Amino acid sequence: MTIDPIRLEVLKNAFDTIADEMALMLMRTAQSPIVRDSMDFSTAICDREGQTLAQGLTTPIHLGSFHDAMRFLITRYGDDIHPGDVFIGNDPYAAAGQHLPDIYVVEPIFDAATAALIGWATTVAHHADVGGIVPGSNALSANEIYQEGLRLPFLKLFERGRINQAIWDIIALNVRVPDQVTGDLNAQRAACLAGARGYRDLFARYGAEAMHRYIEALHDYAERLTRAEIARIPDGTWHFTDHIDGLGESPEPVVFQVALTIDGDRVIADWTGTSPQVRGGINTPLPFTKAGVYAALRSVMQADIPNCHGFTRAIEVRAPLGTVVNSVHPAPTGARGITGYRVIDCMFGALAQVLPDRVTADGTGGSTIPTFGGWHDGAPFVFAETFMGTWGAARGHDGQEGVPHLGANQSNVPIEMIEANYPLRILRYGIVPDTGGAGRHRGGNALTRVYQLLAERCVFSLRSDKRAFPPHGLDGGEPGSGPVNLINPGVGERVLPVLVTEAIELVRNDVFFHITPSGGGYGDPLERDPARVLEDVRAEKVSVARAREKHGVVISTGPLAVDGPATHDLRSRLLAERMTPVR
Amino acid sequence: MNRLRIAADIGGTFTDIALVHPDGRLATRKVASTPDDFARGVVEGAIELLGVERLRPDDIGTVLHACTVATNAILEGKGARTALVTTEGFRDVLELRRIRVPRLYDPLYVKPPVLAPRHLRFEVRERMGPRGEVIEPLDDASVERVIEQLRDAAVEAIAVCFLHSYANPDHERRVGERLRAAFPQAFLSLSVDVLPEIREYERTSTTVINSLVGPPVRAYLQSLVAQLGARSLLRDVLMMHSSGGIVDVRNVITRPAQIIECGPAAGVIGARHVGAQCGYANVISFDMGGTTAKASLIEDGALVRTDEYEVGGGISLSSRLVKGGGYALKLPVIDISEVGAGGGSVVWVDAGGALKVGPHSAGAVPGPACYGTGGSEPTVTDANVLLGYLNPASLAGGAVPIDADRSHAALRDRVASRIGMDVIRAAYGVHEVVTTVMTRAVKTVTTFRGRDPREFALFAFGGNGGVHAVSLARSLGIGTVVVPPGAGVFSALGLLFADLEMGASTAWPARIGTLDPAALEARYQRLEEGLLRDMPPAAGAVRIVRKAGLRYAGQAFELDVPIDQPADARALQAAVAAFEGEHERMYGHRLPGRAVEIVTLRSAVSAPTGGATRLAWQRDPARAAQRSDRRAWYGDAIGWAATPVVLRDAFDASWRDGPCIVEEYEGTTVVPPGCRVRLDEFGNLVIAVGGAA
Repeated sequence: MTIDPIRLEVLKNAFDTIADEMALMLMRTAQSPIVRDSMDFSTAICDREGQTLAQGLTTPIHLGSFHDAMRFLITRYGDDIHPGDVFIGNDPYAAAGQHLPDIYVVEPIFDAATAALIGWATTVAHHADVGGIVPGSNALSANEIYQEGLRLPFLKLFERGRINQAIWDIIALNVRVPDQVTGDLNAQRAACLAGARGYRDLFARYGAEAMHRYIEALHDYAERLTRAEIARIPDGTWHFTDHIDGLGESPEPVVFQVALTIDGDRVIADWTGTSPQVRGGINTPLPFTKAGVYAALRSVMQADIPNCHGFTRAIEVRAPLGTVVNSVHPAPTGARGITGYRVIDCMFGALAQVLPDRVTADGTGGSTIPTFGGWHDGAPFVFAETFMGTWGAARGHDGQEGVPHLGANQSNVPIEMIEANYPLRILRYGIVPDTGGAGRHRGGNALTRVYQLLAERCVFSLRSDKRAFPPHGLDGGEPGSGPVNLINPGVGERVLPVLVTEAIELVRNDVFFHITPSGGGYGDPLERDPARVLEDVRAEKVSVARAREKHGVVISTGPLAVDGPATHDLRSRLLAERMTPVR
Repeated sequence: MNRLRIAADIGGTFTDIALVHPDGRLATRKVASTPDDFARGVVEGAIELLGVERLRPDDIGTVLHACTVATNAILEGKGARTALVTTEGFRDVLELRRIRVPRLYDPLYVKPPVLAPRHLRFEVRERMGPRGEVIEPLDDASVERVIEQLRDAAVEAIAVCFLHSYANPDHERRVGERLRAAFPQAFLSLSVDVLPEIREYERTSTTVINSLVGPPVRAYLQSLVAQLGARSLLRDVLMMHSSGGIVDVRNVITRPAQIIECGPAAGVIGARHVGAQCGYANVISFDMGGTTAKASLIEDGALVRTDEYEVGGGISLSSRLVKGGGYALKLPVIDISEVGAGGGSVVWVDAGGALKVGPHSAGAVPGPACYGTGGSEPTVTDANVLLGYLNPASLAGGAVPIDADRSHAALRDRVASRIGMDVIRAAYGVHEVVTTVMTRAVKTVTTFRGRDPREFALFAFGGNGGVHAVSLARSLGIGTVVVPPGAGVFSALGLLFADLEMGASTAWPARIGTLDPAALEARYQRLEEGLLRDMPPAAGAVRIVRKAGLRYAGQAFELDVPIDQPADARALQAAVAAFEGEHERMYGHRLPGRAVEIVTLRSAVSAPTGGATRLAWQRDPARAAQRSDRRAWYGDAIGWAATPVVLRDAFDASWRDGPCIVEEYEGTTVVPPGCRVRLDEFGNLVIAVGGAA
């Protein structure tokens, strides 16, 4: 039977609407700042095989990781899946999950007429805490997953509509902020209910047989679009190597190596050569690595490809078992987000060689998640936020400042919300001048946020990177700057490692001073339009000294202006110096 | 004598003028907008309409107005040169926004330019805490320094927003006084006056927008008042604000950010009024024009408002979720969702072979292919011409000639041949895809908010509303479609029916159970005293409506619920019950036993403006007899059907079976087979939707 392209478009829109409705529902009912303000969650509507049909517009890097979890669940439960069941799971190894704080809540959807399983309403949300050795459960110091918190295989949170109180009780007892966690689980369930309702209505309207046929057609359509895009990219293999600085006080670099092959209408991303898994929570099982590859490739495609499973069919991801990008039990995964971000960054490094006008130079490298946890006024608190971010420059414009990593479209938490709800004060928040990598187009400047503890004491953790391997520039653009992480800056300050592995105790009035990495530049800094340099100087994003040193632009003060002749002379001299061999 | 009221609504292309005679007769006029001086078009249009209606300027008592001057100031970068004065260490809050971007998978995304650039953002040393406690006193020397810098910067407008000023405005007010003395000519806004609510980015952005649009709005309104005066039309000039109420023009000049969405708001007000008149309290207003379609909800006769609006965010299918494309304006606006689906929306086929409509629009220039004005891409209008829904010879009473052959060629070459369909089926496909895109707009204001669209009547207006309304109703399961008279100037009509209404809000964080009701009541009264002072003279009793934004302790978003007067323990109890009910309705659950907090207090005062409010329809027997016939395509199930084309006057109170097409100067209404239609006493076409989707 033929597929009507119009009906297909109608259904695609309908699936998108359902996934967005779920996301909105989750955001508005959530309790923790990381879900409701930072929006670290995803929602998707899936077909009966657990293949994503549409995903709410929140976190790209979750795209493609639903499917592995769903396949795992469906295999495990087989025909023990009933109307009114709601499943929960988080374990990377026993539930094909991501890391323990990311809890899946999913609900099977049954046809109103035939009672057959027709699809799944699925959510994953980053919970404020799931126990383990540090508040927020993002411990970098864990040696094995047992230290990271509560592990849940796929279990029934509700069974045939009846609450499974035992599971709720176990969760509430094992987490530091049970109100927030159970509140967010309820929000996830509300989103599932809404999604199931909308999806069931579509089946009632169009009939199950036609729906299943159109669902397959939607996957085929996404695959067709994807292959058409890939076919337009020149064939060949491109290599790129990126790094995570490494763990703790004496970091050993963690190497990411990708060989990206474009072969006709398919892509292979091969991670052979990537570092073995480490004794620290930056390992990730394969599903999340695949999701990173998908997100990077999706970003260089120009068609409006549906966010459904069919998109992934033309893409193969290979990664040796036991590496940081395909870890095996019991490797800890608490801070695996950074590994996903680096997978994307590394992919962009490779893609820049074949599609230099569709990617930017390197940027912040993902959220740094400063986390403060302890007791205040007799109650527990955990504050964490996905703090970001800035981008490298592109071929046609400067790096953007105040943007999320491409893998996670998340928000910062409003300062007034932090101060109203947590024993913290923010002393400064803003752009740090002179930090963006110089170039014809300038990398985005770094951002800073300075926190002061108002509680008597707390435990602090952090996940930053790119001090040893700062964000790269492209086409002659200079690299960006690395992060700055200090406790009590000034006399007696303590410099923190980028990936903190020991518990940091803070006491009242301690200050955590944080600067993110910045973005790399694009093109030769001496080719930058002096008018743009002047604009940067006027905005105090670039100093007069740096304008001179990096761009060869002489700015006269008084009323700020470009000194044209002096600039010409300086640029000529700097170019000549480049030609002179270094003695 | 009881003088008349005249309404003027400025749109991008046309300025619409409307008035209602004491006997309920509606008189309207459409004139070209005059972008070089919008006031000229308003005044000339009004004089023209008065001439046609044989009225004198003296007969007019009140001029009601909606305009796009504030919106355009932002969209076209024509706002005032604006400085921001803020707390030391935080001048980049405005530029960094909330970090999220409106598009996923787009590494080349570029943020919209910041409204107050970094070199015009100045810091003052001071700091408040979240409970209004002074952490660092206001430092006079830093204020002096900023005043010096502002002198050099030569700005036309200044916005002041300090951290936690909603909890204690003292520093903001003191700096405001100093700035007012130093720069008497500058347009000054304090965040505590514009939006005294928590969340620094949204408050800062809203305050900056208020300052930025202030000088152009003030200049425009002064010019309007002067030109009206010059033509002996110097009357009370009242304006609509974005949440659908009418305020005095002087109030707009101090808080211009409140009129940014006033035009679309007026259309919704019109739908509410006409709905109430003919007995529909639950209405979805549906406004489809050339580039976009807009939907809004009226429930039990009440408007739904939101304060999550972004100016210039572009057209987004899910604007609530994908934020960051525009400038946050956290003032109450009528909750209107907008999608890029209008008559001019371009039809195309993507690389995967799917039929797509919009969001790109051919606009008025080059226009749909059938206009023959240079457009070669097929549009929704072209599809409607081929389907027989639109007149194949001309539109707008002959003003716009139509070349149906061009529609055919464009759709055949660019769509039908590429998806392997014949042209008429492709055209019907366009109609269906547009319907699904618009369905999303309606769902955003209904199912996304826990409302079932089947419980509402669909009120269609705008040039294309009547062409698509039945298909949209069918896709949503809606049983009744109403197409009011004057559908093409409906926003102007809405202005005539709006009440005087002003609102104010204040942050008042407290936990229910421990707060002092007497203090709460006193705070409400203080809000209302301020509002009543600024209220224009009313034609009837003043009503006060109070709301409180409540949430469960720990949540970030609050829900507004009504709170009874006086605000005592019983009223609080009722508010909590209403909150829990609303929470369950929207989100599917409640949290019994969880503490409930007040976040924000809101008061609105309203009163009728007076004037004729009933529309009366007078059927014209000569017009009733006009009829032509053409065939129209209604999908594979029905195919072509001979369809009578008539005027509104052809109908009366008895039901008549579709198909038929009602062709008017202002727009076309399609009644497909399976539906019935009649005319009610107010001149509304009422369609009982039946038949297959």
